[in-house]
Amino acid sequence: MQSSLLNRTRGAAFKATRPNACSRSVVVVRATAEAVVEKKERRLSPLERGGTLSGDQAAGKDAGQKARAMATGTTGEATILQIVDGRFVDDRWIGGRWDLNQFKDSKGEVDWDKVIDAEVARRKLLEDNPIPSINEDPVNFDTSEIPWWAWVRRFHLPEAEKLNGRAAMMGYVLALFVDSLTGAGLLEQQESFLGKLALHICVFAILLVRTSSDLDKYKGLIDEATFYDKQWSATWDGVKRPSEAESQ
Amino acid sequence: MAASFANTQVSGKVATRHVAQGRVAPFRATGVRKTAGAQIPSSFFAGVSVPQRVFAVSGARSVSRAVQTVFAIKDGAVLEGRKLRVAVIGGGPSGACAAETLAKGGVETFLIERKLDNCKPCGGAIPLCMVEEFDLPLEIIDRKVTKMKMISPSNREVDVGKTLSETEWIGMCRREVFDDYLRKRAQNLGATVLNGLFMRSEQQGSDGPFTIHYTSFADGSKMGTPSTLEVDMIIGADGANSRIAKEIDAGEYDYAIAFQERIRIPEDKMKYYENLAEMYVGDDVSPDFYGWVFPKYDHVAVGTGTVVNKTAIKQYQQATRDRSKVKTEGGKIIRVEAHPIPEHPRPRRCKGRVALVGDAAGYVTKCSGEGIYFAAKSGRMCAEAIVEGSANGTKMAGEDAIRMYLDKWDRKYWATYKVLDILQKVFYRSNPAREAFVELCEDSYVQKMTFDSYLYKTVVPGNPLDDVKLLVRTVSSLIRSNALRSVNSKSVNVSFGSKANDERVVVA
Repeated sequence: MQSSLLNRTRGAAFKATRPNACSRSVVVVRATAEAVVEKKERRLSPLERGGTLSGDQAAGKDAGQKARAMATGTTGEATILQIVDGRFVDDRWIGGRWDLNQFKDSKGEVDWDKVIDAEVARRKLLEDNPIPSINEDPVNFDTSEIPWWAWVRRFHLPEAEKLNGRAAMMGYVLALFVDSLTGAGLLEQQESFLGKLALHICVFAILLVRTSSDLDKYKGLIDEATFYDKQWSATWDGVKRPSEAESQ
Repeated sequence: MAASFANTQVSGKVATRHVAQGRVAPFRATGVRKTAGAQIPSSFFAGVSVPQRVFAVSGARSVSRAVQTVFAIKDGAVLEGRKLRVAVIGGGPSGACAAETLAKGGVETFLIERKLDNCKPCGGAIPLCMVEEFDLPLEIIDRKVTKMKMISPSNREVDVGKTLSETEWIGMCRREVFDDYLRKRAQNLGATVLNGLFMRSEQQGSDGPFTIHYTSFADGSKMGTPSTLEVDMIIGADGANSRIAKEIDAGEYDYAIAFQERIRIPEDKMKYYENLAEMYVGDDVSPDFYGWVFPKYDHVAVGTGTVVNKTAIKQYQQATRDRSKVKTEGGKIIRVEAHPIPEHPRPRRCKGRVALVGDAAGYVTKCSGEGIYFAAKSGRMCAEAIVEGSANGTKMAGEDAIRMYLDKWDRKYWATYKVLDILQKVFYRSNPAREAFVELCEDSYVQKMTFDSYLYKTVVPGNPLDDVKLLVRTVSSLIRSNALRSVNSKSVNVSFGSKANDERVVVA
């Protein structure tokens, strides 16, 4: 008795958290010990038997936003990444930051990839359509809220895989080539100094020079790093600085 | 022999005065005949008391005319019976401070300024150390800015200034008031302020005096009267479009065009900007600079600037107005102005007895575009070097003294300029870099370092451990921001090297 009352209130509380007020709301019963007792007392409807998943395990398996809205006849449209009246609006953007609770997956953990996607999309949207900065709508989201391993998994690992693959292929081909020329096998090559040197050069070149435009980029960087110095010393072309003349 | 020398010297002085008053046309030396005196080698010049004189004779004019003699005085030679004469062209902060120091040091100074009530387009921000170093009265400071807001391309706002103490602020001033105060002070100390526009100058031989041709507006007329002035040295303090720099072939420099609209906004909106300045960064606002909203005495100045894409400056200004639209709603534009800002020093900052200071030399920092303090300081340092090199105006000074100032300047401020250059190269490259910049500015250590170096003009070495942590945070911020850049982003990447402007901007 007590437990059935508790279940109903729990069910009501559960219903209240659902955004769409479906007319055909189903009180999903938690698979607790009490619920098992409940099941025995009250026979479940056909919709709840026969392999139906319940609770979190069923969550997220709906047909999709639009179909769900059409089927239930509601117009509860979610606003995603829009600029309305010169303000950025999104259902998940609350108080100037992404509401991490709305990014939780079926296990209750935040899906960081989705958070990263949302932030990328927001920045692109605002880049293409700049909006005025409004004091009442501050942006409080800091990218350091996303943990380091999410960044590593999303951005570093695929790149690392590519680079390791390249290094392995290049290394193997070069080792074969050296072997054919000198007759030194793989282990012998690695023991010699030249072999170790070649190995290092190969690996670092693959790390640093990913596309052919990278070489131009490095030349450009060196030019950038030294250009300002050259501009400042231009007035001393051919003339010694008094401080230098003194020290000599 | 001695008597004749004395006579010619006296007549020379009279001649100078006559020339200065414009009564006698300047003498053009058409032929030069050296005296039959000993040829003193240049290595002995430092100790020679009798100046080597060159008599220039014109075929047509008679020898009895006062203006006949032209003195070529070597550097270091003692000036008999007169003080060193220096003309400072341009009466802004650099010119006025140079004139002040010269006058204090006993040099006869002429300050030539074309518009005594000039309202030069300027941000108008002066650091705290300037007030003390230059003895500025607090009356010429309209506002004390204690808060700065940095706004990223995705509108992330960061309040910079929480580390400032009660007595630390950035002063905002009106250039017409500021410049006028400095000029009057120079005048009170003995400099002669001439209202005129510099036209051209001629030097009579490589060691002779300069004849400056300028249009004097002393009579109040719009057209002015052509006048001349004879001086021994010239300091070019005439700003970004310096004529002196052209005269000495100082070379060109890259410059940004800064465009600014002064807007009078309603009281309640003005309250928000009471002691707050804003800085907007983003591709839309400027590809390689920033947009700003600076409070002036009863209005705000909204502006932006760019080096690489000057023709699009009006678009950037529109974008800046749009970004600050809500905060400056209901405003009326009272003035539109633009001015070039040098990006780096000119290739030659001195030639013979002509020196460049301030904007004319190109002493504007990168990243922040700050120029007033460095202009005033360079004017002062140049004047100090001349005063020292001429032993308080008693000897002739020359390029050596000017190069002492250049060397001292380079050694003192090179670190500041280089750090700001690095900041610009790292953080103004692209939108992700700007996002990272704003993110980093949230940190109090960064704010403290930034303000300490800006307000006191010293590159303060912080705690090494904090520096390492800052470096790690910088790198990780940059990596994250670049990772968050969309694959099909249309924003641009800007580089800052020696390439031409159109090659420096590349779509991501």
